[in-house]
Amino acid sequence: MYCPKELAGYFLEGNTVKAWKYINEQEKLTLLDTYHAMITPAMQHIGYLWETNEISVADEHLATVTCDYVVSRLAHARLASPEKNNRKAMFLCLEGEQHYIGLKMVNSLFEEMGWDTKYYGANLPVEYILKTAEAWQPAVVGLSVSIVYHLPKLKEYIEELSKLPNPPVVIVGGRLTEKYDLKPYCSENTIILKDLKEMREWLNYEQTKSKQDAAL
Amino acid sequence: MNKQNPNKMQHFNEQLPLPFLKLDKDGTIILYSTLAMEHFDLSEDHIKHIVDNESYEKLLRYSSNDKAPVVRMELNMKSRTSPVTLYEVYLTWDNELHASMILLPKDQSNMQLIEKMMSLQKRLAETDFELYEQREELEQILSRLHELSGPFIPLTDKMCLIPLFGDVTEEKINVISHSCLQSVFAGEYEDVLIDFTAVGNVEDKGIEQFVRLLKTLHVMTGKIIKIIGIKPHTAKTLNKYALEGFMEFNQSLKQVLQTHFTK
Ligand code: B12
Repeated sequence: MYCPKELAGYFLEGNTVKAWKYINEQEKLTLLDTYHAMITPAMQHIGYLWETNEISVADEHLATVTCDYVVSRLAHARLASPEKNNRKAMFLCLEGEQHYIGLKMVNSLFEEMGWDTKYYGANLPVEYILKTAEAWQPAVVGLSVSIVYHLPKLKEYIEELSKLPNPPVVIVGGRLTEKYDLKPYCSENTIILKDLKEMREWLNYEQTKSKQDAAL
Repeated sequence: MNKQNPNKMQHFNEQLPLPFLKLDKDGTIILYSTLAMEHFDLSEDHIKHIVDNESYEKLLRYSSNDKAPVVRMELNMKSRTSPVTLYEVYLTWDNELHASMILLPKDQSNMQLIEKMMSLQKRLAETDFELYEQREELEQILSRLHELSGPFIPLTDKMCLIPLFGDVTEEKINVISHSCLQSVFAGEYEDVLIDFTAVGNVEDKGIEQFVRLLKTLHVMTGKIIKIIGIKPHTAKTLNKYALEGFMEFNQSLKQVLQTHFTK
């Protein structure tokens, strides 16, 4: 049986070999389920250990790189070069936001579905994203936010993106979507996605819709 | 009393090297040092106004501990520089049920760590996992090859044979040592025979490692290790290590077995 605490333990030791081995010993899940049901709970357990005064933020840093390694290697191992669908998406964390692991998962899952993606990771200032989005014209921009104090910036990013000549669909995710109602910080068209399952559902729906639109 | 603070909070007028606060049992701040005022906005007199919401539970839960006179925990504080700033907090209670807190800013000390992590993350982004996996696979094959170059053969309950094949290198002896020592440890062998007949080149480092293996085997079995089929040149090298009492040379496996079974 899979135990998030055990994986969290290897993350905290910085033991990439054991972490990788442990995941591969489990029943083989899809990339999405591995991220959703194995890695996410392990990182949440690390949050719990900090809250219960067992570990420090320095430990979390080590756990994060180890986790990052596993997340990246899984993407590589499970992504058989998918059929490209010629659609573009870009992913970034708001300025100041360092919690990028979830976003990295989302990026890989889009790639798995054949999307062409640009992944910017942590801390991307709004000016930068506007410039690139205007030039590259992605259909979707994914934003991630974990720290409450970054919420006012979310509003700014969404407003600015909506003013582009070809405004992308903005999807928002991250820890806060589960805890708070983010609608006040979004526009009518913003899609708020609570977790990876919701993200996949939305993506399936969106892809069918865009195929239908193309057929018309 | 400080003019800015129309509550019962008092300024502690000593030069302390770190921010200091004293709270009553309800969490009201009753005393603060100069540095505490520089780090935090103390216009409200309750501690909850300067602790991040998602750290407040932690403070409540861990602030008292019957076993430890001083508790230590990391908390995210609302400092003047940022609404979430990491501090290491040391807290102790006195007889009047007042809690004294010393707050050590931690973000700075984590900075170095963060930079190191960032560079690791950059490298990770550049890692070619394909190459990486190929290398891992190669290493496994190599290790398996090494293992096969020194198989462990139990001849009887008390006697075992390790024939070496190919060149004697440090890596190979390492791998062989591991599996041999395990097998010898698991059994009750008295005679360990090591056959050099099929050995090619012998590297200095390989021999050094081999001598270590010999000594360990000798300690484990308490017996003299028998070396078979060794070439004069290799024998000379081994003799430099003063191994009398650890090993002896025998001509061939046949010879050893004959003396063993005619005993
Ligand atoms: C690991 C961790 C870190 C790591 C960073 C990890 C990383 N690179 O992602 C490090 C050590 C760097 C870190 C630093 C800090 N952290 Co931190 N961290 C955590 C921890 C323990 C786990 C986060 C995590 O990785 N979760 C797992 C991921 C996979 O889940 P997720 O982010 O929710 O993402 C999922 C979904 O939301 C979704 N998703 C995510 N993004 C997107 C985007 C789109 C478009 C979609 C569709 C979906 C989606 O996909 C994921 C799939 O499951 C949390 C505690 C917790 N319980 O969350 C604290 C936590 C988030 N951190 C916190 C804080 C305060 C900090 C620091 C300020 C601490 C400090 N003083 O040093 C710093 C500063 C960070 C900054 N400026 O951004 C607080 C936030 C409190 C608050 N008031 O908001 C938390 C809650 C801890 C706490 N209890 O206080 N942290």
